[in-house]
Amino acid sequence: MLSVSLRHRFSGFALDAAFDAPPGITVLFGRSGSGKTTVVNAVAGLLTPEEGHIAIDGRTLLDTRTGVSLPTHRRRLGYIFQEARLFPHLSVRGNLRYGRWFAPRSAPREDMARVVEMLGIGHLLDRRPGGLSGGERQRVAIGRALLSGPGLILADEPLAALDEARKAEILPYFERLRDEVSVPILYVSHSAAEVARLATTVVALQDGRVLRQGPAAEVLGDPMVLPTGVRGAGALLAAVVVRHHEDGLTELSAGGVPLFIPRVPQDAGRKLRLRIAAQEVILSRQRPEGLSALNILPGTVESIRGGEGPGAMVALATPAGRVLARVTRRSADLLGLAVGVECHAVVKSVAIAPEDVGGGEGTA
Amino acid sequence: MPPRASLRFAFLSLVLAGGIAPVAQADTVTVFAAASTRNALEEIAAAYEANTGDEVVMSFAGSSSLARQIEAGAPADIFLSANPGWMDELEDKSLIVPETRNDLLTNSIVLVAHDAQAPKVEIGAGLDLSAMLAGGHLSMAMVDSVPAGLYGKAALTSLGLWDSVEPQVAQAANVRAALAYVATGEAPLGIVYATDAVAEPGVAVVGTFPADSHPPIVYPVALLAAAQGATAADFLTFLQGPEARAAFERQGFGVTGD
Amino acid sequence: MWGLGAEEWQAVALSLRVAALATLVSLPFAVFTAHLLARRAFPGKALLNGLVHLPLILPPVVTGYILLLLFGTQGPIGAPLKEIGVIFAFRWTGAALAAGIMAFPLMVRAIRLSIEAVDPRLEQAAATLGASRAWVFATVTLPMILPGILAGGIVAFAKAMGEFGATITFVSNIPGQTQTIPLAIYAFLEVPGAEGSAIRLVLISVGIAMAALLLSELLATRVARRVGGR
Repeated sequence: MLSVSLRHRFSGFALDAAFDAPPGITVLFGRSGSGKTTVVNAVAGLLTPEEGHIAIDGRTLLDTRTGVSLPTHRRRLGYIFQEARLFPHLSVRGNLRYGRWFAPRSAPREDMARVVEMLGIGHLLDRRPGGLSGGERQRVAIGRALLSGPGLILADEPLAALDEARKAEILPYFERLRDEVSVPILYVSHSAAEVARLATTVVALQDGRVLRQGPAAEVLGDPMVLPTGVRGAGALLAAVVVRHHEDGLTELSAGGVPLFIPRVPQDAGRKLRLRIAAQEVILSRQRPEGLSALNILPGTVESIRGGEGPGAMVALATPAGRVLARVTRRSADLLGLAVGVECHAVVKSVAIAPEDVGGGEGTA
Repeated sequence: MPPRASLRFAFLSLVLAGGIAPVAQADTVTVFAAASTRNALEEIAAAYEANTGDEVVMSFAGSSSLARQIEAGAPADIFLSANPGWMDELEDKSLIVPETRNDLLTNSIVLVAHDAQAPKVEIGAGLDLSAMLAGGHLSMAMVDSVPAGLYGKAALTSLGLWDSVEPQVAQAANVRAALAYVATGEAPLGIVYATDAVAEPGVAVVGTFPADSHPPIVYPVALLAAAQGATAADFLTFLQGPEARAAFERQGFGVTGD
Repeated sequence: MWGLGAEEWQAVALSLRVAALATLVSLPFAVFTAHLLARRAFPGKALLNGLVHLPLILPPVVTGYILLLLFGTQGPIGAPLKEIGVIFAFRWTGAALAAGIMAFPLMVRAIRLSIEAVDPRLEQAAATLGASRAWVFATVTLPMILPGILAGGIVAFAKAMGEFGATITFVSNIPGQTQTIPLAIYAFLEVPGAEGSAIRLVLISVGIAMAALLLSELLATRVARRVGGR
């Protein structure tokens, strides 16, 4: 368990954050400039905050009150940077092995073969970083961080420099990291989809302050917590794969409610997590007939919250879990939506993109 | 006249005056002289300038460098060499006015020591110079090219001392550098001109080389073929006059009556 | 051989020895200083930079004289060194010292440039992987600045081979001990009729310098490729 509390001031910006990161992936979620990278760099020791206390499993990395501040190289972290930062003068194998030289005897020794296999980089071992693609470089960076036997893995927007296809390629590796490796991971992201897919725990940051921290589904389902704005909102649902249909759809069951999404690779019986973007949800008082949308979730309105614009964020309690819907205030009024009112959430199957669907382990 | 124009007028007149002036006023004499004559010549030149209002421009360096510069066309009027050899070379190349050549000064070479308390010695064939050096170096100017070095080597050779001290000789680029080694104590002994020892308070003379142990140290002076104007000849005459003689003798030179 | 006399060969051998010693001994100091100037901020940094560049700006004869005052057997640094048997005055070691000091700023400049070209984020990455500052330098920075060190070393070697003013002022001209090629050329030029020897030595000097430059180009390209990640 990582526990962090920091205060730091830049010109024009004040950071005051405190959170705990349990095992799994803890995502620092917020828009650019919200302080996420500052927090990660403080944890890494690349920046010393004015005030702070950082500890992993009782081992103190920083305590400004007692003057303890372990230098970066003694903190036993694996840091996965946005730009991979592989050493150009070493081969891939050399890069992977780099952290091993410096790992203390007591560090858990990750098996090189296992890591290579998990990341699918076996065929790259003798290559030099200069000739690798962005995605390949990032996978090597993940392996390198892992093999240094860290007590904590940090990832600062590791997918930001990749195109959509590469991102989709690498996301599963992070899911494997979360599921197969026991080291906690602190992951910075401004992408709601990434967060939804990977996070065990979410720490939402806005303007240097923690809006809310907690299990992913809870934080993402909170309509008051929108660190990247209303367009990024989307609740997380837990579902199980029922079966794959011939026409390219997969049938899921979320709390007993059947959901249909474009075909996913997971087998029947596997758990999934689904992100339903609030933008994609249509509300209807009655259960609609003759609509093209296949996904209809019955639920009860838990809250309605309007902003300055024409929109309103409606939180719905459904058997599948909390669902957020963004509609116009006019519609909410016209439909007579109020707390306690029953209505249905309608979502098109095709509106649920592959990157919104993730492996189910680690969902709280 | 408006201010801008009056400034321009003033500037222009200054330039014209500067251009015309030499014809009306002072002449310049350029003298190339051996480095060892510096102190004396500066005094003499100052006197001359005060008397006549002419300007004396002097360049001091090793005679070899000066000779090569003259060969290469340097605009000098008078050459005072520390060694007849370089003057001969210029004469052979018809770069001097032969009638004006005159052996102006003489000098002697001395053994100097860093230690002011060092005992005086008689410099002769029996001198155990190696023992005196006690493992240290004998500081001399370049023995194959700089006159002071040439004379020193000649003297040591004629006294039969050269072979024994040659391994311990440290050759400096010029006499002043040779003096510096002794003055700082880096070399216990050195061979320099008597005039140099006078100029440097940090060394003490412990002996004078007999005049017959080396070719006479003669400083020839001559007007250069490229010299222009009467002023150069004028200064040459002044150099051979009584006032100059006194200045030279004060620095330790011998002046030949001619 | 090639019409060169014994004294001339002596000068060549001595020059090579002096320049090699000067370059090799200066190298670690230059790397250390370059790293300090490139990566660290500290009070007096501008002063250090100025001091390092002094030999480039002062007349070589002045530098030679300062060396005489400091490292001569009567000097504040030379006297204690003499006690432990290290003597510079009138020795080839002194010629090496003079050459090394004169070449030092050139070496530092070349190496500093190549250190500044190393992405400090890579050094950061190494630190996160457990490498202490010294190890980061040894395993990441050093391999990547190898071309720069090579370039600096070659330039320094060439400068050391050509050093004259400081050498002749500090350790004088002693054939076999301090008469390097430049001093020998000077001595020959000063004697009428010895120009032939001087020119032969000039040709040898140029030959050695060209060979060194070509070698450095070859090595630098090879190393740069390796370090560039291809």
